[in-house]
This record gives sequence, structure tokens and C-alpha cells, in this order.
Amino acid sequence: MKEMVKLLPYIKQYKGMFAGGILLMICMVGFELAGPLIAAAILDRHIKLGAGNIVIQPILYLIALFLTIKLLHALTSYFAQIVLVSAGTRAIQKMRLDVFKHVQNLPIRYFDNLPAGKVVARITNDTESILQLFASVIPMFMVSILTIFSIVGIVLYVHFWTGIVMLVFIPIVIIWGVLYKKYSNDNNHIKRERNSDMNAMINESINGMPIIQVFNREDQIKDEFEKINDEYYDSAKGLVKLESLTGENLANTIRSLVFAILVYIFATTFLGDTGALTVGIMYLLVDYITRFFNPLFNIISQLSIFEQARVAADKVLEMLDAEPEVKEGQTLNKFNGNISFRNVNFSYDGKRDVLKNINIDAVQGDTIALVGHTGSGKSSIINLLMRFYDPNHGAIYFDEHDTKEIDKQSLRQFMSIVLQDSFIYSGTLLYNVRLNNENITEEEALKALEDVGAAPLMARLPDGIHSELAERGATLSLGERQLISFARALAFNPKVLVLDEATSNIDSETEQLIQYAMDVVSKDRTTFIIAHRLSTIQHADQIILLENGEIKEQGNHEELIELGQNYSKMYEMQMG
Amino acid sequence: MLDYIRKISWYIFSNKKRYTLIVLFLLIANVMDIIPPQLIGRTIDLINNGEMTETIMWNILLIFAAVIVLTYVVSYWWGYLLFEGAIKIESIIRSRLMRKFLLLSPGFYERSKTGDLMAKATNDLRTVNMATGFGIITLLDSTTFLLTIILVMGFTISWQLTFFALLPLPLLAIIEQRLGRMINKRHKSSQEAFGVMNDAVLEVVEGVRLTRSYVQEDAENRRFHSLTENYLNKFMKVEKLDAFFQPLTIIVVSSSIAISFGYGAVLVNNGIITVGELITFNVYLNMLIWPMFALGMLFNIMERGNASYDRIQNVLDETDDLNDIGEAVVKETNFNFNEVTFKYPTAQHNSLEDITIELNRGETLGIVGKTGSGKSTFIKQLLKIYPEGSGDLIIDGVNISSLNREKLRDKLGYVSQENILFSRTVRENIMFGKPDATEAELTEAIKLSAFDEDLARMPEGLETLVGEKGVSLSGGQKQRISIARSLIKQPDILILDDALSAVDARTETRIINHIKDNRKDKTTIIITHRLSAVHHADKIIVLENGKIVESGTHQALSNGSGWYSKQNDYFITGGES
Repeated sequence: MKEMVKLLPYIKQYKGMFAGGILLMICMVGFELAGPLIAAAILDRHIKLGAGNIVIQPILYLIALFLTIKLLHALTSYFAQIVLVSAGTRAIQKMRLDVFKHVQNLPIRYFDNLPAGKVVARITNDTESILQLFASVIPMFMVSILTIFSIVGIVLYVHFWTGIVMLVFIPIVIIWGVLYKKYSNDNNHIKRERNSDMNAMINESINGMPIIQVFNREDQIKDEFEKINDEYYDSAKGLVKLESLTGENLANTIRSLVFAILVYIFATTFLGDTGALTVGIMYLLVDYITRFFNPLFNIISQLSIFEQARVAADKVLEMLDAEPEVKEGQTLNKFNGNISFRNVNFSYDGKRDVLKNINIDAVQGDTIALVGHTGSGKSSIINLLMRFYDPNHGAIYFDEHDTKEIDKQSLRQFMSIVLQDSFIYSGTLLYNVRLNNENITEEEALKALEDVGAAPLMARLPDGIHSELAERGATLSLGERQLISFARALAFNPKVLVLDEATSNIDSETEQLIQYAMDVVSKDRTTFIIAHRLSTIQHADQIILLENGEIKEQGNHEELIELGQNYSKMYEMQMG
Repeated sequence: MLDYIRKISWYIFSNKKRYTLIVLFLLIANVMDIIPPQLIGRTIDLINNGEMTETIMWNILLIFAAVIVLTYVVSYWWGYLLFEGAIKIESIIRSRLMRKFLLLSPGFYERSKTGDLMAKATNDLRTVNMATGFGIITLLDSTTFLLTIILVMGFTISWQLTFFALLPLPLLAIIEQRLGRMINKRHKSSQEAFGVMNDAVLEVVEGVRLTRSYVQEDAENRRFHSLTENYLNKFMKVEKLDAFFQPLTIIVVSSSIAISFGYGAVLVNNGIITVGELITFNVYLNMLIWPMFALGMLFNIMERGNASYDRIQNVLDETDDLNDIGEAVVKETNFNFNEVTFKYPTAQHNSLEDITIELNRGETLGIVGKTGSGKSTFIKQLLKIYPEGSGDLIIDGVNISSLNREKLRDKLGYVSQENILFSRTVRENIMFGKPDATEAELTEAIKLSAFDEDLARMPEGLETLVGEKGVSLSGGQKQRISIARSLIKQPDILILDDALSAVDARTETRIINHIKDNRKDKTTIIITHRLSAVHHADKIIVLENGKIVESGTHQALSNGSGWYSKQNDYFITGGES
């Protein structure tokens, strides 16, 4: 329930609509329950009189009244749903935008431990579950509870003992519902797991078909599949059995039981001293009991959705509670491109230092190459430079300014980055070069593309720079995606360029293309490059060899070769 | 609608007993269902006329109890038999589909998307289950139950009243069918909008470093706002239709009740029916609402089931485009490519042209060239997975078309460009190549593929689970497991299709040396981007646009002036000359 309280602010923004919707629902229940009262009146005042004694005229008036009330019932039902759903969707949209904005301000650290899919699920799927809660589950609960208690109230008034019987059956039905839901949920869970295992196997077999066929393993796969298909069938069968024994079938039995009790009450009342019930009253009781069960069953069927929404709300709220990055510091207006690391220590987890006592001085226009094995700390230096993280000790200076005192966004405006796995946004090629920066003209974007050597790529695409690129650039080669990233970096005309070189998994022709683009983009800029192939960095002003977070060797290519230590060994090995 | 029933008639006929019982039990259940309202009506009449006695009451209650018990029992049986039958047909078709998948050759997989095939094996099968379970029950129930109630209303109460009171009810079926279909359509477009929104969020989260580096946060917020707005509008369109359901139902049902009371009053006045009968009649009217809805739903369920069934049947009807009639068996594995030209079934241009080359047992062939030059296509000819092109591909003096496919593949070890591993343990993945391999053979294969050091670091060694549910491996590790999978077979022909691209230079050298030493008397074909992997080859060919443009040994080619020597120079100097 704690979650529900925290959701209140979102409801409050649309409290007028929610209140209106609930009011409409209360009217709706009133109109619904008024129907049988009129029918009872028709029976008791007129039809009961029997053959030959009935006057039709007043019955027609009552029927007209009945139809009017039913029309109102229909109208209130329509508008209640529309109003509540509108209010719910608006509130959820607000929540979605809030979560999205919040995510944009969370520190990068937050994304290290949470897979992208989960973050997305919070923003889209979980909020959708909460929408179900606002727009359908809670209103339905309210209508159902209102209906149940109104009916019990009227019946208690009309015929006390029948009312008591209904009160007794409320907990019985609820206990049945909770137990049934629990059992079928447990079984459903197993069934779903089997189902997803099975589908995973089909998917894997389709993708691995060349291997299965070339290795002549069709029979083995077939047998294994038959086995899990049979297992799935068995668990589904068990569920069907349970469902048929305890599901709707049992619910109907409970309902019939109440009707049998009703017959007993009618007959014993007649045979007792209190006098018989009138036809109209009996009709009313039969009708109300029919209407009494549906809301009960509805509540039970929606309990699991309620539970899901509660869990979803919990997760979304947890994300909203995560501490965002502080947005403060001065704006950096002018920056020449001098960068220094002073005694920098850094740790991701606060326990193990991944960078130890790092000192780097980069003068405007320098190219600094970072070399070392996986885990030596190359990427961490880039992370600190981009201020995705801040150092634990020491400081980084941009010209004379300590970066900790400068606003992150204003700092990043002077930098461009090209990541190892070049990211392509869905949208046109032009969009991918200039993103949402309207200061970059189409001509400038075009020139950037041409400068990095992407002219052949543009020629190949149907609409040149205006071509829509496939999701994640799926139809482009690795090299082409890299070129686009370079063009993007160039178009933003940064003071500092950060390059994470693509790993060795490219052919030599692509490598030549990228090498060319790299040279174009890094010209006259302070450039930090993570190099995997030593052949590409021989002209760097400084080569920094990292090992376990420490700088082991520092100097230009010739100096380090002369030193005859690790760098020169690595160089010899790569050159074969 | 009947189309669907006709299509699954094979199943119904082979389960005659089951479906006869279902119909029988369902009919009994229907009859049982109509008794309680009769009992209530009778009770009310007896009380109204002052004729109720204790004996009659107990008789009525006895009948009531019997009805309740019998209803529960028969309802259980038809429910169980019917829905179990539905999962059974789903299971049978799924199994058939899988057998077909295993049979079809790569040509089929090039024509179809994995996503589509998966949709058939999941969504479409579920729809068929739905149509066979829920659909058939709806069909039987809505028709037999409807008919039973109407007959009972007519015979035991009054035909006139039944006729007039039932006039508005068919509207329910029409509303359900029409509105249901429209909602479905709008729902689809709303789901698409949701998908677009979802993708946009995924993009922002995955590209979070880039978005921040280029200071695009505010722009992304604006873009997201418009996407949520779009989804919200589409969602509301669905809801606006959905909100019609309840009010329309209320109006239709209320009209029926109004007619029954108005006209019923006249009939009671004329002494044709009693008050109790009128009440019974009203209970029956309420019981008709569900079957009317079901009737409307039925059309949509069956229509969808029919479409899904057809989509599945299309796959089941596929025939393998390779006729595997060959009988001959390979022994020596000497190859002769004689002017082989090949075009992919869906392509416009030849992917291989006039390939002529000879490769004898024990020789190593290196294949190099640009991406898309036909390297992989070349080796796929040997796997016998595409229909043959023109020219002759002769193995041991026999044309490949006359070779038995299974026997040929037994001789092959193939490491594909994509790293295909299965969600099993490392051991199972390697033994996939030879299920009856001994422990010694396994260790040897792991050593040869230079996977031993990595294996030592794995949490559970050979029993480590790989794939989605297990540990995630690097590209290089996956490649080496794939190589071990082939080496464990000790194949007469080993084919490595760019299979060392993700391993470092040192490991590459180790693997190549192992292969050189261990496969002296066997044939090896290596496709690579890195020339160092083929220095030792007996023959190297350079492909360009499907043609051999250079061929010879490493020595000869690097002294030449073609593509090979240029690449070789670049590789040595790192582009510095």
C-alpha cells in the first residue's frame, strides 16, 4: 500500500477527472440496481393479480421508466470508462516523462549494473501495468465492492435471512478465489517456463540450422525437442485438469448452491408463520443473487493484475528515487584544449583502485595514445575525461579549470567521442551526423561525411544523406558505421576528440578507411585514443602504456622502442 | 468458419471418441443448466398459488442437488477433454513444424525471416490452440445451448413470448463481431506505437554515453514526449471503442427484458402463462447473453485460427529444394572444381564464376579476398546445401550431385563465420561434433583449438553452461569452441570460414601450428582476412566478384603486384609506406 500512497501525486494532478469518473460510476451502480426494483414493482402491483385482472396501461409506464433508467445506466457506464481511462493515461504519461527525464540525469554508474532491457521495461512496460491499475483495476474494484454491498444491503432490508446467506458466501467465494489463483498461478508459472524453454530451443535451432545439418545432428535435435514438447504438453494438461476441476466449473456450482438455498428459504418462509414472500420480492432476490456473483468473480480475476501493478509501481518508484547527478558548477565559455590529469586515483566500487596516481599533460593539438591489456585502465581514463565518473583523488584540469567545478554539459560541449561499437540512431543519415543540433547545417554535415571518406556510402544509399538508416545501422558494415561516427565527431567541431578504436576484428581494407578518417578528424585537436593496434599510433605525441591502472611507460614511439620494455615487445609481436 | 473445422477434421476424426464424448457431455450439461430456473419458477408458482408443501419442497431440493452434482461432473469432463485436445493438437503441429525445420535447406532460411518462423511456432500455434479449444466449445455451446434454451422457452413457456423477447438479442452477436474486429485493428496500431516508443527508449538507454557526450538530453526528452503522445492517442482510440461494449449490451438486454415484461403481462392476463413461468423466462433471457456474445466472438476466433493454420501449413507444405538422391560415398577427398558457376536462388548475379581448381588429399587451400567476393559461397558448394550451379564439382572422380549428402557431411568439419553455439554446456557443445567421443579425444580437441587456458578459468570447467542462460563468452572463445567442435571429428576435410577473426595473433599462430602438425594427411580449407593464417597453405586463391583473380603460394603471390602483395605489404608496415 506504501506504493499506492506514492502514486497519489500523479492522481492528484487529474483529481477532477478521477473524481468525476468515480461519481459517474456510483451513479452507474445505482441505475443498475434500480432495474430489478422496477421489475419487482411490475410483478407485485400488476402481474401477480393473475389472469383477467391485469391492467396493461400502468405497466407500460413502468416499462418506460425501466428503459429510461437503463439508458442512463448505459450512458454513465460509457462516460465513466472514458473519463477514467483518459485521466489514467494522462497521469501515466506524466509519470513516463518523469521517469525518462530522471533516467537522463542518472549517473552513468547506474547503468553499469542494470541491463538496458530492464531500464526500458521500467519506463514503458511497468508504467503500462500501472495504467491498468488506474484505468481499469481500481475502478473495477470500486464498482464491484459498491455493487456487492449495495445488493447485500437491499437484500438484508428486503429479506434478512437471504442477506445473511449472501454474507456467508462472500468469504467462501473469496477463499476459493485466492486458493484457486494461487494454485493456477504456480502451475502457470511452470508451464510458461517450459514454454519459453521450448521456444528458445526452436529459435536456437533455426539460427543454428547450418551447423545442425552439416554435422548430421537432425535426429538428435528432433529427439531432444520431442522430449521438451512432451514435457510442456504434460504440464499444460495438468493445468487443464486443475482448471476444469476448480475453475469456473466450481464457481458455477457455488452459485447453484445459493439458488438451492434460496428455494429452501422461499418454501420454508411460506410454510412458516411469517407469511409468504410476494412474487416481486422473490424475483428481486433471484435477480440480485445473479448480479451478486459477477463482481465477486471479477475482483478475484483481477487480483493478479493488481499484484503485478503493485510490483511494477514499486520498481518505477525505486527508479525515481535513485539519486540523480548534481547539476551545478560554472559554465565553461572558452577552452583552448589543454588537459592535465594530476595524481588521479579512481575506483568504481570504492574498494579496488582501477587508476593509480595518473599524471598526463596534453597540450592543445596533442595526440595521446593509451595502450595496455584489457582491464589496464584505458577506458577508465576516457570515462573520467568525459566526466561519466569523477576521480576519487587528484584532479583533472581543462586549461586552468578543475573539472569538478565546471558544469558537465558545458564541459562536454567541447568534446566529441567515437566509441568502439559505433552507435547508430534510427533516423536519417543526416540526423545521425548532426543529431538534434540545428546549428550544424546540412552542408556542414555533408562536408563532414565527405571529409571522412563516406562519399561512396552516400552514393550507395537510395536518398543520399536523407536515407533512413536501419535500426542500429543493421544494414551497414562495421566500417561504414565507424565512418558515420567520425563524421558526427567532425561536424560538432570539438576541441577535444576521444576515440575508442575498433578492435582487431576488421579486415585490412576497412582498417585503411578508418585510419584515414581518424587522421582527418584528429587534425589540430587534442585527441585521446585507445589503441588496439600499435601500427595506428606511431605518430602520436605521447604513448601511455598502462598496466593494472598505473602508467608504466610514457613517451613517443621512438623513445619507447628505444626503452626496449613492454611496448617494444608488444610492437614486435604485432608486426609478426 | 467451417473452413477451419474442415482443416482440422483430420484431428477430430482421429479422436472420434473424444469428440463424441465432448458433444454428449456438453448436451447433458446444457439440459442440466436449464433445470434450476425451472425449479425456481415452479417454486414461485407453487408459493404464489399457495400449493407448496414440505414434501414438494424436499423433492425440488433433491432434484436441485442431483442437478448440481451431475452438472459439476459432466462439465469437468467436457472441459478437460476439449482443452486437453486443444493442447494436444498444438503439440502435434509444433512437432511437425520442428521436423520440417530440420529438413529444410538454407535456401528456405534465406527466404524467410527467423522472426516470422518463430511467430508461426509460437503465436500462430497459440491461435490454433485457441480456435480448437475455445473456438470449438464456443461453436458447440453457442449453437446447442442457444437452441436448447430457445426450445425450452418455446415448449415450456410460450413461443410468442420467446419470439418477441429474443428479437433484439442477435444484435449482441453482431456488436461483438464488428466491434471486436475494429478494436483488434486499432489495438494493432496502438501496439505498434508502443513498440516505436519502446525502441526509442532502448536506443536512448543503450546510447546513453553518446547522448550525454553530445549533450542531447533535452532533445531526447522532447522526442520522447511526442512518442508518448502518439501512443496515448492511439491507445485512447482503442478505449473509445472498447467503452461501447458495456452500454450497448445494457441497451440490447434491457430491451429484451422490457418486451418480456410488457408482452408477458398480456400473456399472464390471458392465462397463457403463469407468473412463475415469466420469472423463469427472465432467468433464461439472462442465460442467453453469454452464448450471443460467444457467437460474435466465434467468427473472429475462427477467422484468426484459419489464417494461422494456413500460415503454418505453408511451411509444412514446403519441399526441400535439394533432391538428395546421391548414393556414392567419398573416400579420398580429392577435389576438382571445373568451371563451377553458381547463383543464389534469390540473387540476380552469379556469386561464383568459372571456378576451376584442384585440391588433393593432404593439401591446404587458403582463400582470401574482399568482403562479398564469394569466399563463403565457394565453400558452401562443398557442404551440399544449395542446388548445384553449372560446371562440375568432382570429388574422388564422382560428381557431387551423385554423392550421398549425409555421408559427405560425415567427412566434413565446418566452422562457420557466425559463431553458432547452443545453450548447453561447453562439453555438449564440443561433443556436438562427435557424440561418442572419448574423454581423451575431447581433451585433445580442446588443446588443438587453444581453448585449454580459457577452460581452466571457467567457473565449472567443461560443465559450464554457455548461451543466454549461462556465461557469456567472448567472440574469440566462441570461435575456439566451434573449432574444437569440428576438430573432435577428425574430419577428412576441415573448413574454417573466417574462423579466427576474433582471436589474437598469438592464439592464431598456436591454432594454425596445431592444424599444420595434426592434419598433414588431410584436406584443410581456410578463409581469412588476415594473411598470416594462410602463409603455410599449399595453394592460395584470391577471389574478386566470384572469380579467381590470383592464385599461387604465399611466396609467389607476395612477390607479385596484385591485391595479395598490396595487402601483405600493408599488413607488415601498418600502412606506413
